[in-house]
Amino acid sequence: MASWLQRVFLTASVLTVLVWPSAAALAQEDDPLEPIVGADIERRHIKEDMLDSENFEVGAYAGVLGIEDFGSNAVLGVSLAYHINEDFFVEAIYGSSEAQKTSYELLSGAVELLTDDEREFTYYSLAVGYKVFPGQVYMSRDLAFNTHFYLTAGAGNTEFAANRYATYSLGAGYKIYLTDMFAVDIGMRDHLFSHELFGESRQTNNFEGRIGLSVFF
Amino acid sequence: MRKRVTLLPRVALTATLLWALTAVCSAPAAAGWFDDEPPLVVTVNDAYIDVYSGPGRGYPIFHALEYGEPITLIKSRAGWIKIATERGLEGWVDRSAMQYTLGPDGQVPDFTDEYRSDAVVGHFELGAALGDFGGADSVALSVGYRFTRNLTLEASYSQNSGQFSDSELISAGLLHQPFPEWRVSPFLRLGAGVIKVNPSATLVDTQDREDSVLQASLGAYVYLSRRFFLRAEYVNHHLLTTRSTNEEVSEWRVGFNAFF
Repeated sequence: MASWLQRVFLTASVLTVLVWPSAAALAQEDDPLEPIVGADIERRHIKEDMLDSENFEVGAYAGVLGIEDFGSNAVLGVSLAYHINEDFFVEAIYGSSEAQKTSYELLSGAVELLTDDEREFTYYSLAVGYKVFPGQVYMSRDLAFNTHFYLTAGAGNTEFAANRYATYSLGAGYKIYLTDMFAVDIGMRDHLFSHELFGESRQTNNFEGRIGLSVFF
Repeated sequence: MRKRVTLLPRVALTATLLWALTAVCSAPAAAGWFDDEPPLVVTVNDAYIDVYSGPGRGYPIFHALEYGEPITLIKSRAGWIKIATERGLEGWVDRSAMQYTLGPDGQVPDFTDEYRSDAVVGHFELGAALGDFGGADSVALSVGYRFTRNLTLEASYSQNSGQFSDSELISAGLLHQPFPEWRVSPFLRLGAGVIKVNPSATLVDTQDREDSVLQASLGAYVYLSRRFFLRAEYVNHHLLTTRSTNEEVSEWRVGFNAFF
């Protein structure tokens, strides 16, 4: 009996402690000095921070990357962009691919220039982009999508053959906005870096064609 | 057996009670999170305002808002604002057109640019930069938190690719801006971290090594838009090596940071 009573008291005290703040808040709302008839609309001052901004864009893409001397290879990547104004944006991209054997390795039969691990090809790049030719495309009589082209230039790193190479990238693409939030991105990038895998330093162009989907938030 | 029968409802009761209490206590907070904000409605205070089909001056103008017409502000992107009219028509207007509208309080909405660091206290910033680290190409990422008008706590990670070695550097630092109200605002940063150096795989007889590093940097923020700035910086790295002499590396970098 005693323990039952204790429990009742304990529960009651816990309830009091927990409900107290909201009870106090309710009491405050019942202030008799409040005006009986309030204004219908809230006369607040509008500031830019109250407005939801959608300047970030995150995306994923797939495509084909031609690694110079190492064949054409599937590439998968992700991107993050920030739109500064209607003309400029900055983007960070990260992609990964796997190099095939060179023609020399195939012809000679036994020679292996790189191990399987060393054939992993990953890159990232930070780039500034410029949006050009804004417009609309018409899918049907009542359906139009906003579009624009863009150009990018940037720099980053490529990890390949157990080494890291400073890489410059140039790119262009076409973006179709399915809605304000979703866009299809068809583009190409050229990743330029020089390596010494074949003995002497060699400047390589690694072209990539890709299609991706991005979301604005 | 009987005892178990009585125990179960009690457990259930306690659980329900606890759940109800938690629900009651968290309800006000949850309501704050999930409540829809009332729509932002302004009225046009100019002869007309052009409505574009997309967020950019190159998209076609397909509608004009009339004087006195109430419009709802939906969202902003890249200096443009998506609006809806009372009839449900949606389009984009230039952010600068907001000065020709009036808010519910009869005042012009506050869409002025404040190119000031002290306007972003309490915000996080994310940055990326490219530079030259003692002859090597460097790429750096940083995350910062501005906790007073003048001070920012910052963590950064950078990769440097050189001809003879690659390195990775992780550091934390404190950044001080003496004049946060200036659009071009200089800063001083002190930091410390760890650098890991991997000599190039084509060289023989090399070993990876890891050293502590102290950093002092001078630089400036240049505000480009409301939440976005360019950051240029000169960093002096002092590598505390295990060899008989310490090493100094100079780095300059230029990058962009965004507040969110």
